[in-house]
Amino acid sequence: MTTSTMDRKLDDALLLRLRVEDLLYHEADLIDRWQLEEWFALFTEDAHYYVPPSDVDGDTADPETSLFYIVDDHVRLRERIVRLGKIGAHSEHPRSKLRHLVTNVRAHRDGDIIHSRASFIVSRAKDITHDLFVGHYLHELVERDGQLKIQKKTCVLDMEALRPHARISILL
Amino acid sequence: MGVETGIINDKDAARFLVPRRAFTDRGVFEAEYKAIFDNCWLYLGHASELPEPGSFLTRTVARRPVLFTRDKDGEYNALLNACPHRGALVCRERHGKSRAFMCMYHGWTFGSDGHLMTLPGSSGYPKGFKTDPQKQMVHVPRMERFGDFFFISFAKDGEDLATYLADAGDILNLLSEQSPQGMEIIGGTQEYAIRGNWKLLAENSFDGYHAACNHSTYLEYLGNTKGALGVDPLKGEAIDLGHGHAMVEYTAPWGRPVANWVPLWGEEGKKEIDGVYNELESRLGADRAQRIAKKSRNMVIFPNLVINDVMAVTVRTFFPTAPDYMEINAWAIAPVGESEWRRKFRLYNFTEFLGPGGFATPDDVEAIEKCQQGYAVGGDAQYNDISKGMAREGVPSFDDEAQMRAFWVEWDRRLSEYGA
Ligand code: FES
Ligand SMILES: [Fe+2]
Repeated sequence: MTTSTMDRKLDDALLLRLRVEDLLYHEADLIDRWQLEEWFALFTEDAHYYVPPSDVDGDTADPETSLFYIVDDHVRLRERIVRLGKIGAHSEHPRSKLRHLVTNVRAHRDGDIIHSRASFIVSRAKDITHDLFVGHYLHELVERDGQLKIQKKTCVLDMEALRPHARISILL
Repeated sequence: MGVETGIINDKDAARFLVPRRAFTDRGVFEAEYKAIFDNCWLYLGHASELPEPGSFLTRTVARRPVLFTRDKDGEYNALLNACPHRGALVCRERHGKSRAFMCMYHGWTFGSDGHLMTLPGSSGYPKGFKTDPQKQMVHVPRMERFGDFFFISFAKDGEDLATYLADAGDILNLLSEQSPQGMEIIGGTQEYAIRGNWKLLAENSFDGYHAACNHSTYLEYLGNTKGALGVDPLKGEAIDLGHGHAMVEYTAPWGRPVANWVPLWGEEGKKEIDGVYNELESRLGADRAQRIAKKSRNMVIFPNLVINDVMAVTVRTFFPTAPDYMEINAWAIAPVGESEWRRKFRLYNFTEFLGPGGFATPDDVEAIEKCQQGYAVGGDAQYNDISKGMAREGVPSFDDEAQMRAFWVEWDRRLSEYGA
């Protein structure tokens, strides 16, 4: 391999990671600012959003055979956002303060799909409570009109239980 | 000396009042452990969770670590998970398969029935030491099964499980009859906590009154989702099942995998659901089949086993660790051998309403936590009102509070009589 092809490979890998990081940071920022419609627009029409429970292997668990915390297809994810916009979504009224920290982003291409793994800490503060969700994201991304879109987002909690959090009424 | 609960139950005046210190007082909390959790039958697990000899799981029940096993003969054992040597937890895994359990401290090793198999350096002990009853893992004083549901009691004496369950036993049977092959717990546990008193969740689990307000967004979501709503209205009754157990039983507009079809599931789905219903009817007769398929049920088995047979079926237990904090475990239970399609819809249904990520449970959590915070006002605001429907003639409605009064009357009786 010549130096220039090695360089090009490195450039490609770096560029891919930068693009993925850019998307993940954008996502995090939109959720933190409660710009949920805009966040939802980052997903493809056949997208899924999953949060598995802590007593299964979250990287491989199947929502059709295991009980999850969240199993959203595109329709239900839209409804989740519609719900969060209402005063009747009591758990998020008044809205909690959120902060997503996203690190350790790794990405690789597999055919048309870009797989990424990244670490997260999500802080949720509301009245007398302040809870941290710790875990990792598994994203499956696709190119649509020159843009990266989310086809699947799985939030694997690296926690033993949702204690004391009780709820995932926010978006992770 | 029983505990003075201060509950006011005046049928003539249709007044039922629970003092708020029942939710906040440390003395009440400790008395509850003695009078209730250390005496009642408590849910441990389901037979399907231990599928073969050697299967085991660990679980905390009423603050105690418990090891639930099947030994090599396939017998079920409920062991206190502490080493007879110095008390370390013997099994530190959540579940798995093993013929033996080695304590990681000094290496004493126990069979899955709890007997001491080997210990390193046994020459340091007198003859007969290994078979000394005190050197074996201790069994939970009592364990019994009702169908495939296992319960334990930390009291040596007391009524048998079937007597304790009273009419709630028939509702457990009703659930088990959903399939000729029985029921199974689906893998994946929702493990969470609420910063509120445990009795608030008992009330909330079969509170038919709060849905319209607390879950307005859920009901609107069903309305928005094309075909998610069936034809049946929310309507039904509250039923006292005896011994503090109670339920609400009602028709509801949501789809049920056993067996209430909604348009969302399409014509293929309709064929399948019809098939499920016809099997029920031929096995159990029309009345029982109708009840199983078309009615939803939210049941609380005193003190803390919830079985909600709604758009999916959840089994839920919760234990307080303080007056204002409880830990909750919730599972999904389903017919053995149901089709992949039904299993998928069941799980999709479950997460739509139930659990920390659902469209409803987070708002229940919020309500419970805000009640707990509200109790801090103290002063003259001393009582919760649980009287809805008390003045009604005839059968109590599902959105009355008769089911909660059944719970509270038993709670009151157990605390008042304890040690008296
Ligand atoms: S504490 Fe278990 S072997 Fe010593
Ligand atoms: Fe509720």
